[in-house]
Amino acid sequence: MKWRFTIPILILSFLFCERSVPRQGFRVVSLSPAMTEVIFAIGGADYLVGVTTYCDYPDSAKKIYKVGDFSNPSVERILSLKPDLVIVNIPEQRRIKEQLEKYGIRTFSTSPKSIDDIYKDIINIGRILKKEEGADSLVEYMKANIRDLGRKKRKTYIEICAQPLITIGRYSYLNELIEMAGGENIFGDLEKDYPVINQEQVIMRNPDIIIVLHPEEIEGRLGWGRISAIKNKKVYKNLNQDWLMRPGPRLVLGFKELEKIFE
Amino acid sequence: MGLRNWRKYLNKVVLLVLILIAGILFELFTGPGEFTGEIMQLRILRVSLGIFAGGVLAFSGGILQGLFGNPLVEPYTLGSASGAALGASIGIVLLGYANPAFSFLGSLMVGFLVLTIARIESGLLRDRLILTGVVMSFLCSSLVMLIMIGGKRELYEIIYLLMGYLGIVFTPERRFIFLLISILSLFIMLYLYRFHREFDIISTGVETATSLGIDIQMFSIKVFILTTLLVSFIVSLVGAIGFVGLVIPHSSRMLFGPRHIKNLVGSFFLGSAFVLLADAMARNLVVYELPTGIITSLIGVPFFIYLYRFK
Repeated sequence: MKWRFTIPILILSFLFCERSVPRQGFRVVSLSPAMTEVIFAIGGADYLVGVTTYCDYPDSAKKIYKVGDFSNPSVERILSLKPDLVIVNIPEQRRIKEQLEKYGIRTFSTSPKSIDDIYKDIINIGRILKKEEGADSLVEYMKANIRDLGRKKRKTYIEICAQPLITIGRYSYLNELIEMAGGENIFGDLEKDYPVINQEQVIMRNPDIIIVLHPEEIEGRLGWGRISAIKNKKVYKNLNQDWLMRPGPRLVLGFKELEKIFE
Repeated sequence: MGLRNWRKYLNKVVLLVLILIAGILFELFTGPGEFTGEIMQLRILRVSLGIFAGGVLAFSGGILQGLFGNPLVEPYTLGSASGAALGASIGIVLLGYANPAFSFLGSLMVGFLVLTIARIESGLLRDRLILTGVVMSFLCSSLVMLIMIGGKRELYEIIYLLMGYLGIVFTPERRFIFLLISILSLFIMLYLYRFHREFDIISTGVETATSLGIDIQMFSIKVFILTTLLVSFIVSLVGAIGFVGLVIPHSSRMLFGPRHIKNLVGSFFLGSAFVLLADAMARNLVVYELPTGIITSLIGVPFFIYLYRFK
């Protein structure tokens, strides 16, 4: 007699439970390696049905269906997943975004130009996935660890690519990150995110610290011997590029590295 | 040659020298840096690089147009540029950066492949070299795309390599390579220049050349190998600066006539001056550095139309 009631109640309660999870069956495709990391960190990994081949962190991201690589994801593969939301990087994936919107698919654009933009993206994706708590605590965690250390600013040059020389301008979040850690980007006046520069400018602006984010050797370059960073052996290599170049949770680790450099 | 013709000729030579000097001065004394020792040292290197690259490209273009009797041939038609790009992209994948040795090997290997494939069939080798070169260029370009697809930073390196860029950073390795290949190129060019009579004859027609005792098959192979070497040198260091090898030889022929003894020298110096001027603009037009190859085409086309129209 007892069981006759309990079983339907159990079934009903399960049904209600199912309904009370608001985003059940919500399907997300992330074309941004950084946002993939963010979604994992805020506890939304179950919604991810497709990622790019560049999304290699955390390890379980590698097992998710690949829709293509960063620059050329396949629209067909994305459509076949019937996603409710596709996360795109602007400007690199503007073409994909336009195509997807033509098919009526909702997109979420990410193009952080400052640290605040990164936080905004995290909060917004948390709201969409109904993972506000996760997003809030991630932002809290990042804010607690990435903060202005109030150190004396030292002139810093960051090299992303050697031939041609590419550095970081004002519109890259890295510019802000460097400043918080105690550096002053010598190309912070250029109104671009990743400008190609002339080596004469580097020599003239004479940085105290050089951070190299590519594998080529930079000591022994002709005319660079006078730069104080090279004279005083303040050239830093072998940093984990993904920690700095991906505006996601691991930026905290990148910031810790920078903290050590500017000590 | 009468006195009036001589004077006309002299005028053109003076004009050429003036353009070259203007190019050198423009390149040396404009730019973001101050005039300190280090920066002038870098600029002098950049000037020599420009003279070298522009001169060799225009010279090779002149030679190839003479050999093939085809006005559309340029040094890159024979596959060297795309071969270099392919080598560089393989280098980027393996090492993480563009290494000149890889571009050089890629360029050389594609040149060798073009020659081997062109020799499979019998007939006039000269004509088949062009077709094979063009086909191989397409193959290499698709392979580059295949390798580079998905790259972010790597794409920049390949674009600057494909467009040509003089603002390279001189590591000890690159300085040594530059010294070595400029000496080698000088010898190769002097050797090729000795055949100016043969080029004159071949450009009047293959039949004439054969009847005058030139072994056109062997001659084509020799010239092809040497120009491929020259172009590989350039491309491995500064990338494929476009337009110079195509249009400068034409301009030089318009100025100095069809005889190769004159127009090859004209090509060399006109090419140098042209690349220097283009590079000076590429550095100074905007705050950022532009690839030199973009400017060569931008200012090259109006220059060519002017010559064509008002010669």
